Amino acid sequence: MSRLRAEGLTLGYDQRAVVSDLDVNVLDGRVTAIVGANACGKSTLLRGLARLLPPRAGTVYLDDRPVTALSTLDVAKVLGLLPQSPVAPDGITVADLVSRGRYPHQGWFRRWTGDDHDAVTRALDATGTAALIDRPIRQLSGGQRQRVWVAMALAQETDLLLLDEPTTFLDIAHQVELLRLLRRLNAESGKTIVVVLHDLNLACRFCDHVIAMADGRIVAEGPPTEVVTAELVEKVFGLTCVVVPDPVAGTPMVVPAAD
Amino acid sequence: MSTTDTLRATRRRRGLRSVTVTTALAAVAAGLFVFTMMAGSMRLTATEVVMSVLHLRTDPSVDFVVLGLRLPTALTGLTVGLALGASGTIFQQLLRNPLASPDFVGITSGAGLAAITGIVLLHLGGLWISGLALAGALVAATIMYLLAWRDGVSGYRFILIGIGVAVFLDGLIGYMLTRAQLFEARQAMHWLTGSVGQADTHELQLLSYALLVLLPLAVLLQRQLRALELGDDTARALGTRTEASRAALLAVAVILVALAVAVAGPIVFVALIAGPVANRLLGPAAGGIAAAALTGAALLLTADLVAVHLMPTPLPTGVVTGAVGAPYLLWLLATTNRRGAGG
Repeated sequence: MSRLRAEGLTLGYDQRAVVSDLDVNVLDGRVTAIVGANACGKSTLLRGLARLLPPRAGTVYLDDRPVTALSTLDVAKVLGLLPQSPVAPDGITVADLVSRGRYPHQGWFRRWTGDDHDAVTRALDATGTAALIDRPIRQLSGGQRQRVWVAMALAQETDLLLLDEPTTFLDIAHQVELLRLLRRLNAESGKTIVVVLHDLNLACRFCDHVIAMADGRIVAEGPPTEVVTAELVEKVFGLTCVVVPDPVAGTPMVVPAAD
Repeated sequence: MSTTDTLRATRRRRGLRSVTVTTALAAVAAGLFVFTMMAGSMRLTATEVVMSVLHLRTDPSVDFVVLGLRLPTALTGLTVGLALGASGTIFQQLLRNPLASPDFVGITSGAGLAAITGIVLLHLGGLWISGLALAGALVAATIMYLLAWRDGVSGYRFILIGIGVAVFLDGLIGYMLTRAQLFEARQAMHWLTGSVGQADTHELQLLSYALLVLLPLAVLLQRQLRALELGDDTARALGTRTEASRAALLAVAVILVALAVAVAGPIVFVALIAGPVANRLLGPAAGGIAAAALTGAALLLTADLVAVHLMPTPLPTGVVTGAVGAPYLLWLLATTNRRGAGG
């Protein structure tokens, strides 16, 4: 049984249901990608799983307990999230921002301990941001900045990490760099990772498991080699295409069909 | 140097700077507090003032000047400054905007309108004014919270609605003044300009006790504030109970500013400036509430010294803070727009 799963999950904003009646099992120790066209509800699902959006119906379970029944601080020790557009206060430095990831492990009077120091050190080293420690966030390039945000989420030291479109504003090289980082974190510490991605090819290349969504429903899920086919891409993105093996890794690669 | 050493050195440097700056600000505020009681037509030494305040030596003429005349003014400057500085920086960090001080988002106007109504229509004074100002500020804050509410409170909406509420309430204050008799209107106008020399003993006591409770509470809530600064999603992901934390912080800030307004009238710009000045001293995004409070006290005590002693005729403190604050506001508007951070 998965540590993080949802049953009959319906989520929405105001009056509108964005995703309805979903059953999701997040595979432990794997990297899962949620893919789909714009506005298909993939970010909404991620926010629901991360208890940022209260369910209209259904339940999200974390370690077999409804997530709404757990204290938000206890959830934060197990489940981390990097939102789509996080906000950095003016002038904040890398060291300060990454240190704030220790929030759930600190208390009203218990502030900074050796554990906090070690966790932040590990997070900086793992993301290759240690050299930027004194730099203000705003002076960094997009790729560096995104790695710093990942470092903050890592400093939280959770077994599960959810990321909402972390590659959106990055160029291709930095997209690959970030996904390699996630792969490495998964390989080194067995972290369970769920990432919302736009790019189907990158999802196939770097993720163990793909959840494809369209119109608030899950259309297909499974290992990329099994589920990503021309029919699926047609169904999910409305794109006629040919799916060929990636020349390097052999994973499915989507090539748009001729006009 | 390894990451662990660099991190340790960075944190130690920050910590040291924070302690040094906060201590220095406390010393400056304390120095100004004593100096306020030394200056005047009867010049006194620091020793005489301290001895008299601490009741270590009895000298009727010194005691009369210090305890009877100058201590209330100095204490008002200190407490009102502390309250405005803390309140301002909490608002600015909570709403993630340097323009979001309580004087600009309608809280001060709410307190002012309620207090003016008490003075003009009901001929009240003393603790009644504190009570009314508090009620007015809370009502203004609640109205704004309700109007700005949409899946949580976003900073931008809160400020725009706050400015609207402030203009509306200021209109009502103007209406109130037209209804007043000449004598009361003068009294109300003086109060509205804001002055530390007008405090009532009971109001001052109430503010002092409130500060003893609320300032430590605000410093404890700083942890939540640092998480909220990163946006609601991140704050929630870190395990903050965002709405409860925000409500607690807003309550502390609103009560502080309301009690300060009740004591000294709506003194402008101190709440706006204190936080950014403290941040400049502490280093970026430090957001120390204690340092901002002490900066507020130092600014207000200085403004009062200037208003009372350096001007040809003594002026209300609010005139001086306004004269210093307005250029700062213009500079802030010009630079935030250029940076695209938008006010």
